[in-house]
Amino acid sequence: MSETPGTPSAASGAVPGPPRLYRSTGDKWVAGVCGGIAGHLGVSAVLVRAVMAFAIVAGPGLPVYGFLWVMTRPDTSAPGGPAAVSTHVRTMRPSQILVVVGVLAGLIGIGWGGPLGGLGSHLSFVVPVVAVAAGAFLAWSQLDDTERGRWRARSPRGKVLSIARPVIGFALTLVGVVALATQGQSLQAVTGTALAAFAVLVGAVVIAAPWVVRMWQGLQHEQTERIRATERADIAAHLHDSVLQTLALIQRRADDPATVVRLARAQERELRAWLYADPHRSEDSLATAVAAAAHEVEDDHGVPIELVVTGDRRLDPGGVALVKAAREAMLNAVRHGEPPVSTYVEIGAQGVECFVRDHGVGFDIGEIGDDRLGVRQSILGRMSRHGGTATIRRLEHGTEIALTLPPLPPVARSEPESGDPDSVAPSASLELEPPTVPPPGSTSQHAPEGAPR
Amino acid sequence: MTIPTTAPTTPIRLVLVDDHRMFRSGVKTELVPGVTEVVGEAPDVDAAITVIRQTTPDVVLLDVHLPGGNGNGGVDVIAGCRGVQTAAGQPVRFLALSVSDAAEDVIAVIRAGARGYVTKTISGNDLMSAIRRVADGDAVFSPRLAGFVLDAFGTTAGEVAEADEELDRLSAREREVMRLIARGYQYKEVAKELFISIKTVETHVSSVLRKLQLSSRHELTAWAYGRHIL
Repeated sequence: MSETPGTPSAASGAVPGPPRLYRSTGDKWVAGVCGGIAGHLGVSAVLVRAVMAFAIVAGPGLPVYGFLWVMTRPDTSAPGGPAAVSTHVRTMRPSQILVVVGVLAGLIGIGWGGPLGGLGSHLSFVVPVVAVAAGAFLAWSQLDDTERGRWRARSPRGKVLSIARPVIGFALTLVGVVALATQGQSLQAVTGTALAAFAVLVGAVVIAAPWVVRMWQGLQHEQTERIRATERADIAAHLHDSVLQTLALIQRRADDPATVVRLARAQERELRAWLYADPHRSEDSLATAVAAAAHEVEDDHGVPIELVVTGDRRLDPGGVALVKAAREAMLNAVRHGEPPVSTYVEIGAQGVECFVRDHGVGFDIGEIGDDRLGVRQSILGRMSRHGGTATIRRLEHGTEIALTLPPLPPVARSEPESGDPDSVAPSASLELEPPTVPPPGSTSQHAPEGAPR
Repeated sequence: MTIPTTAPTTPIRLVLVDDHRMFRSGVKTELVPGVTEVVGEAPDVDAAITVIRQTTPDVVLLDVHLPGGNGNGGVDVIAGCRGVQTAAGQPVRFLALSVSDAAEDVIAVIRAGARGYVTKTISGNDLMSAIRRVADGDAVFSPRLAGFVLDAFGTTAGEVAEADEELDRLSAREREVMRLIARGYQYKEVAKELFISIKTVETHVSSVLRKLQLSSRHELTAWAYGRHIL
């Protein structure tokens, strides 16, 4: 009865097969049943609600509504579905107030002999039934599928609500049931009956408990299994897309050791990032930017760079300059130095320090001609423009370029980054007009091909 | 780091613990015979504990991720071999060797008692000198481990210990040594840079290792998860 296959405006068009009836999570007054039916049939929700309201007043509507509520699932595909719903604590909406007013009006109508006046003579029956229904509504609305997340609601108010609802609901139902059973007799008279009923309940619990527990455990087991299977499928998909592809590529390029090393290194890094991804690391941080630059250089030149970063801070224009200068330094190190190439970045309260070191023959800044823009402009000039420094040291084995930046100003600067000369082009040697054409015979020891230093 | 020109009179007795047979044989080909002697191998936690207790080696090359035990891999092996001594009366020393450079793994195995941590991409020469250092009771820090230490002890925020004995902070000198190691300097380069002897560098590194293992102020594992919150 709830399945009407072939309706084009069904809520879940993405799922192949007959569209199912879902409870609406967005358009709902009570449980979203009417909204769901409206969406499913493609008719106006107002019409559905009017019909349902009439049906409820006339008699058969209430059980039908309850049945639909229990038998359908909330629509998870709608915008602002359960995920969005579960982030806020349920509050009274105008539509719900309307529903409550309607119910009250109905009750008053019963009492005053309105259209439902016939029931007035059975008040002792009607009132307890209404109480039971209200209690059940309260308790069930809390345990509603979409709401289950709210058991662990974050806000204290949500927690209180999530406990209060079922408790009040239970109390209402209990009172209703007792009133129904006593039917005006004195409490004393029903004590015996109550005891008997209680004994039966206890007996039922004793008998049902092992079965319920087993079912519960089975459900838990099945859930963990399903989660595990999903994870395994995810991992398999990832391995197939990345590692297997790279391995195939490596086999085809086996005669080219440099490419193989590069492929292996890139794949290793990618896999590592996937395995040990840091959920807290933000995209817009200096540490991430330096790592990205180092990986780029590694990929382009196939020389591994041992990168160590401690601390972090947000990426400001000075940080961007440091990343570009460090990238230039790493490029020089892999092009002209010898591996191992190490990069260490220390980001702290006293500022940023960055060291790029290789194990090549080394060079002196004095030996670099003024025309060599790589080192002079893209490293030294760039750092000094941002209040930092750059020094180049020649070690016994290799060269070390040290970059520093002052600490961030306490208040975040809001100036636009477009004024930053470094945000124009990553290739440093292009961003400034060269004073002269580089002569072929360079004084730099490292740059035989006239590469920017 | 260089291979010693004069091999020790007795070779360093090694046990390899790694669940990848290919990796174990790869390491064996890189070891210099005469300087080291592989006395045992094990593919999982329980076999490793048995082998180490039987052979009492000088150094154990220990993978961080291993099957068996309580599921903590190398940490379980170190815990299971507590108190085991070599024939010479020295404690059995552990050098962690792993593909993982995740902070949690590194810190966990160091806190458990490993004397050093190197990644599996280490060159044969470096591995040999790391083994020698660990056998001598010194500590072996890779640049990355040094970076972790600097991060963990909050030295980037400028905290410096008043006295060397203070467990929760690094002294200024220790911090300098850690920074140089993080910058890719080898021990002898560190020594030259700071005008101290290699032995002094080794002392500083061992002292940092001790602080890393004993410090209680830093819940280091918790730190490892939260360290990148800006």
